[in-house]
Amino acid sequence: MAPVTVSAAGIGVAHLPNQRHKIVTKRGANFTIMVCGESGVGKTTFINTLFTTSIKDYKDPAKRHEKQLDRTVEIEITKAELEEKMFKVKLSVIDTPGFGDYVNNYDSWMPVVEFLDDQHENYMRQEQQPVRQGVADMRVHACLYFIRPTGHSLKPLDIEVMKRLGSRVNLIPVIAKADTLTPKDLAEFKRRILEVIEAQNIRVYSCPIESDDEGMTERNRSIMAAMPFSVIGSTQTVRTPDGREVKGRQYSWGVAEVENEDHCDFKKLRNLLIRTHMLDLISTTEEQHYENYRQQQMATRKFGEPKVKKYENPKHREKEDALRKVFTEQVRQEENRFRQWEQQLISERDRLNKDLETQHAQIKALEADLEHMYHQHGRGTMRK
Amino acid sequence: MAHRLYGRKKNVKKGFQFTLMVVGASGTGRTTFVNTLCDSNVLAKKACHNPEEAHNEEGITIKPISVELDEDGVRISLTIVDTPGFGDNIDNERCFDAIVAYLEQQYDDILAEESRIKRNPRFYDNRVHALLYFISPTGHALREIDIELMRRLSPRVNVIPVIGRADSFTPQELHDFKRRIMEDIEHYNIPIYNFPYDVEEDDEDTIEENSELRALLPFAIIGSDEEIVVNQRTVRGRQYPWGAVEVDNPQHSDFARLRSALLSSHLQDLKEITHDFLYENYRTEKLSRTVHGGDADNAALNAEDMASQSVRLKEEQLRKEEEKLREIELKVQREIQQKRAELLSKEEALRNLEARLAQAQLSDA
Repeated sequence: MAPVTVSAAGIGVAHLPNQRHKIVTKRGANFTIMVCGESGVGKTTFINTLFTTSIKDYKDPAKRHEKQLDRTVEIEITKAELEEKMFKVKLSVIDTPGFGDYVNNYDSWMPVVEFLDDQHENYMRQEQQPVRQGVADMRVHACLYFIRPTGHSLKPLDIEVMKRLGSRVNLIPVIAKADTLTPKDLAEFKRRILEVIEAQNIRVYSCPIESDDEGMTERNRSIMAAMPFSVIGSTQTVRTPDGREVKGRQYSWGVAEVENEDHCDFKKLRNLLIRTHMLDLISTTEEQHYENYRQQQMATRKFGEPKVKKYENPKHREKEDALRKVFTEQVRQEENRFRQWEQQLISERDRLNKDLETQHAQIKALEADLEHMYHQHGRGTMRK
Repeated sequence: MAHRLYGRKKNVKKGFQFTLMVVGASGTGRTTFVNTLCDSNVLAKKACHNPEEAHNEEGITIKPISVELDEDGVRISLTIVDTPGFGDNIDNERCFDAIVAYLEQQYDDILAEESRIKRNPRFYDNRVHALLYFISPTGHALREIDIELMRRLSPRVNVIPVIGRADSFTPQELHDFKRRIMEDIEHYNIPIYNFPYDVEEDDEDTIEENSELRALLPFAIIGSDEEIVVNQRTVRGRQYPWGAVEVDNPQHSDFARLRSALLSSHLQDLKEITHDFLYENYRTEKLSRTVHGGDADNAALNAEDMASQSVRLKEEQLRKEEEKLREIELKVQREIQQKRAELLSKEEALRNLEARLAQAQLSDA
């Protein structure tokens, strides 16, 4: 049926978006963002710069010697509530301390991947409950992967992780500490990263570019072209040589500004995350990634069955190693015992052999004597 | 500090030989530093090969390169040993072994040469005199790989920690980072080359110079093989949209101080410590190892072999050994029985003989 236009005066159906608007404004939003990358790459600073408040605390350097190097990657959740113009956003920031920091980083992505899947799993479970009020939704809407600014290319570890993240969450690659790369180096670096992403089939977030508004389309295009985003993070306000007060980093040779588009892509990334594409991030998570996960799980599992856990804790591996060591020790002890036993038997045998020989010698001596006596006797009788 | 070197005129004419190893993850500024040090493109930048193979992990490779330098009129024959691939893999346990093996190889060569009856007077000394370790500019503190590497290599070579790409830091951040690194080095007891001086023995100049250099540790390095124009001067540096960093400016980077320390003032000291202390230690360890520890080593090796075999194989082995031992036991017991039987029979014979003898004697008498 073709849509029928109501009379020009209207009946009020056009007010539906306004009602929606009021409900949504009252409900507030829920946004979960994950930052992933080696330590010291600028994640905490970036988050604090993005939301212009101290959302995350820096790790206390004085405590670093207390922590045992136990080679685990942790998941750290920081929650905050932002309010702007009466609109509340419940923000959750997920950090992955310990990722990529160790000598052996094999499987260090497992806790992260597990976490992402667990959130989908939790949501799925809650949906299947009889009472569905108050669903706690911690599904990650965007994952920022921080690449160390080496200037060369992506490392094998980066590639491995990004592959796994890209298929589960909206992955946005970010070049951290971009103020260590000259513009030429930066352009080369971005180009190489994009080449590798393309060649290795890594799925990164791409937002819809086309929209009704021309200006919007342009903006979207320029945002996507800047991927991977180079960022400089700073919560401090400094004075530039030409007298402006900006957020930036003050070096002996100049001031690198956070919001200056010539210096870094921070503004573009902020627009992407908050101003223009936050809703798109949320809806792709719910519609694409969650549905993917749900489909995969439903295809193999029955309704209501718990999930099979595959990942083994590195602690278990350590226990396994310890047990193996104990076993080796015991085996070595047994071997020693056998060797000693062997030695004992051999020495016994030698001793007995020696006894035999002495007895032999004695017998021979006696025989000789006998012969001798026979001889004498023989002669004696002859004489008789 | 050229007066240090002018010990003998012969040395000055002959020039000095110095071997420097640079270690650090890719992207920490190693290659650029070497090129800046030698003022020419000695090392090629990492060739970013096929993006489709970017996920392959290469191991570490060790590449020595020789360069001739002229420092204040003194010829220095510099050998640079580069270690591309360090720390770039997902699992980096093997990297340390490769480097340690290289260092020990050089010592082994010298040891073998020294022990020859007829020694080659032109023998080329390839021992590494100093190792520059490039710490990644995280801004926090030392990472596990940094601590492990410095700890493992310090017994074999003079380790000098260096912060690469120091233009990531504001002056305050750099100061804090350096402080935390030195705290970590002390906490984990890592013996680095810290420009040692003796308060009682050395003269004031030496003490002052060494304590200055010590306070600069770890050196913050900015390297560049490009030239830029700053204030109408052409200098080596990096040009950013917000300013220009100069490599040779001591306020921007410690490069100049490090260069003079390595190639002028402390070249002899580093060589002496390598020869008199590190090499001697290695020699003592190695020679005492071959004398005593042969069996201990073998037992240890066997244990490790066993650990890598499967459980069942081990049990089999044990069972076989048990059987063998039991067989030996049985055999020995049988032999014993046999011999006992022989003994008894011989005793019988003897007794008979004795009896007959006794009879014979009796009848005789």
